[in-house]
Amino acid sequence: MSRISRRKFVEGTGAGIVASAVPLKAQQSDTLSPGSAAGKRIQVTVNGALKKLEVEDRWTLVELLRDHLDLTGAKIGCDRGECGACTVLLDGKPVYSCSQLAVWADGRSVETVEGLARDGRLDPLQEAFIEHDGPQCGFCTSGQLMSARALLNRNGNPTADEVRAAMAGNICRCSNYNRYVESVLAAAKSSAAAAGAGRSGRKA
Amino acid sequence: MNTLQSVGHPSARIDALQRVTGKAIYTGDRKLPGMLYARVLRSPHPHARIKRIDVSKAQALPGVKAIVTHENCDVVWGSGDTRNKRYLFNNPVRFAGDAVAAVAAADRHTAEEATRLIEVEYEPLPFVLDPEEALKPGAPEIQPGGNLSPNNQGQRAPEVYRRGNIEEGLRNASRVFEDHYTSAHINNAQLEPRVSIAHWEGDHLTVYASTQGISNCHTEIARDLKLPPEKVRVICQFMGGGFGNKNQDQDFDLMAAVLAKQAGAPVKLEFTRKEDFVCVHGRWPTKQYYKIGVRDDGTLTAIQLRGYSGMGPYRKGTGGIAGIEIYQCPHVERTVYPVYTNMAVSANLRGPDYPQGVFGLESLMDDICYSLKMDPVEFRLKNMTRKFNDQVPYTSIGLEDCIRKGAEAFEWKKRWRPEPGSAAGPVKRGAGMAMGSFFSNLGRSSAVIDVDSQGVYHVHVGVTDIGTAAKTTMALIAAEALGVPLEKIDIIWGDTDRCPYSVGESGSRTTTQTGWAVVEAAKALKAQIAEKGMPQGKDILSATANPNPSIPGKARYSFVAHFAEVEVDTEVGHVRVTKYVAAHDSGRVVNPLTATSQVKGGATMGIGMALHEELLYDRASGQPLTAGYYGARVLTHRDAPDIEVLWIETEDAYGPYGAKTLGEPTIIPSVAAVANAIYNAIGKRVKDLPITRDKILGVLA
Repeated sequence: MSRISRRKFVEGTGAGIVASAVPLKAQQSDTLSPGSAAGKRIQVTVNGALKKLEVEDRWTLVELLRDHLDLTGAKIGCDRGECGACTVLLDGKPVYSCSQLAVWADGRSVETVEGLARDGRLDPLQEAFIEHDGPQCGFCTSGQLMSARALLNRNGNPTADEVRAAMAGNICRCSNYNRYVESVLAAAKSSAAAAGAGRSGRKA
Repeated sequence: MNTLQSVGHPSARIDALQRVTGKAIYTGDRKLPGMLYARVLRSPHPHARIKRIDVSKAQALPGVKAIVTHENCDVVWGSGDTRNKRYLFNNPVRFAGDAVAAVAAADRHTAEEATRLIEVEYEPLPFVLDPEEALKPGAPEIQPGGNLSPNNQGQRAPEVYRRGNIEEGLRNASRVFEDHYTSAHINNAQLEPRVSIAHWEGDHLTVYASTQGISNCHTEIARDLKLPPEKVRVICQFMGGGFGNKNQDQDFDLMAAVLAKQAGAPVKLEFTRKEDFVCVHGRWPTKQYYKIGVRDDGTLTAIQLRGYSGMGPYRKGTGGIAGIEIYQCPHVERTVYPVYTNMAVSANLRGPDYPQGVFGLESLMDDICYSLKMDPVEFRLKNMTRKFNDQVPYTSIGLEDCIRKGAEAFEWKKRWRPEPGSAAGPVKRGAGMAMGSFFSNLGRSSAVIDVDSQGVYHVHVGVTDIGTAAKTTMALIAAEALGVPLEKIDIIWGDTDRCPYSVGESGSRTTTQTGWAVVEAAKALKAQIAEKGMPQGKDILSATANPNPSIPGKARYSFVAHFAEVEVDTEVGHVRVTKYVAAHDSGRVVNPLTATSQVKGGATMGIGMALHEELLYDRASGQPLTAGYYGARVLTHRDAPDIEVLWIETEDAYGPYGAKTLGEPTIIPSVAAVANAIYNAIGKRVKDLPITRDKILGVLA
């Protein structure tokens, strides 16, 4: 038993269940020392703006966003693809940005919570989250918003069950699930009502 | 109940815009110039002596700036274990996950790599996981002096409460019921992992913490690092949840400070999700042996509990198993043994002593109802508490209304089956209920309110916002007390250099204690304004309140009754909650919008505790097996039913506008309500939490 290494300990618990996500960074940092870490030039469109960046191979997308682009709206709740606090849209699809490498975003487009409000107006989802008290502690909120945005982009009139299914990957430990579902349904309704009347909403 | 101007009206959080735009800054979002990143090396053994630590290879890694171990750091974490000394780094290590060393480096990857280069030679020691086993002669000794954790007086004795004479009570009973129950170690699993940033400027330390109480965190960091309190500043505003596990100062605050001192640079220490799950603390696992005496007419004569709580190797919480006080009963005896084990440490998780105790108690009460052919609602109305511990009058009590009106809203008569398990077909429905109470003390807290010539009221309160909407609640109370619109209130919060003492977001006390201080400060300020007029130009008027109210001869409690209907698929053991009503007496509700969210959340957490969550250990190796959200199967959108919330607003003469406590009562009866509903559906009782599919199939087999 004395042969159990720390690595085994870190990877052991629960990690077997999400084996692909957990040891990603650890394995890479075995072969890369700081300063000399292999890098790559990439081009990413972040919230509509084209960014030319030099990134290390081992950086995850959430690391790039939070540590290097100062977009801290996406949170790291687990760093292993379980909680959804880091959800962003990659080419319009919701992904766990902790489980994507930054280099994989090359040539693609990323949307984060910071890009939801457009032209100084809040997204109807943001409006509804305020009115229906979506966030309690708020740590999962950015992820919930992005999953909800992806849903409404493909289905403007979801049922409550469709909302739950689309957001099942976003854990809220304050367990404010009722409020989040309520918010998304309200946003869908208000968006439908506003359709054709031009975008409205409160100032961001 | 009279209508007020601001208090009692549903109000969106005053900081909601920041929360939905990603602009709310949490501790982990902060970056200081020259900041280093830290990682912790942890014991792979449940119990071992460290024979040798060699950090030379780690030290040689470019980018590594500081390494601390038990050999060069003797800081005692005073909030960790007040009975036995708990150091930041202990030798021997006493659970799989105990801290062995911490490293600060230029970036996280280097810090992580450096922890792997530290060589540690362990001498594994025998270990024990089960609290009852740990008390047996010959069990491995985890702390000097034995495994029964000493009480506050330092005695090695269980915690005992007695009223009347238990033997007499059991003799007076027509029937005596006896059974035992267990509850699991579960994790708080707040979304924000623990994180701290420590920054020294000369001998002055600033800690950007993730805490449930900046004031207590501040004095405790000063105490543990032996600094004068005025040399320490703690900042925490937005905070990503804690549910009891970020009270007080934390070992990671101290580790970051020690590393930052050694490195001569600010240090950010982030725990990984797995560290958060197994290396800090969760709810204590319990074993409960109940004996209850009852007369044929359903009157209780005796309640006896012998319980064991597994505290992990360091005592941090009470280990209590509570709930008996919700029943009126002349003869009561409760004996609880808080025991050291080599599992993860146990301490506070929402309503610390209650949900597991109420689960055991209300399960057996439910069995008694069926045996006596009494409706569980009628049984509880007959036996519910009227005075605290049958002795002290309550300031107000809405429990009867919680039960009656809750049952009505739930349509209890329609959903509950007198004959459990009688539904036809493989998918069976059933209903259950349970009740609870939680103390709603008043006590010390402070507030300072300034008013400027623009008529803006700056309310300084030492609150953080852990999700309870504390900031908004304080603003509503201030607006009410000052008689001004909410927009005129500016809350200054979450910084010990700018805010006076506040009790902290623990024990569900911010509204009742700091809220009361706001009322008092507003009163004082209004008196000044009446005397001097509103300030002009650059002048301000300022008022301070440091109240410490108490209510001699009375007990102040919140009350709650929850009702659950479940559907159990008896072929696969799956449980779905199909209807849920939560009726709460928390006095006057300050903000019905956010308060309702809290109830929905607390009840849902309880459903997770009832059905899913457990930190499982491998008995042979002492290793935790199910750390993390997948492993613990924390509820998701798909598992969460609609929670209907019913407010029973009793008039209470104390607290801010009669507000009583709320956050913790929300989870107290939910576990038992679900458990009782499962029994009503299938006619078999699962006595061990969580009530998982395999256990349901087991009792049905």
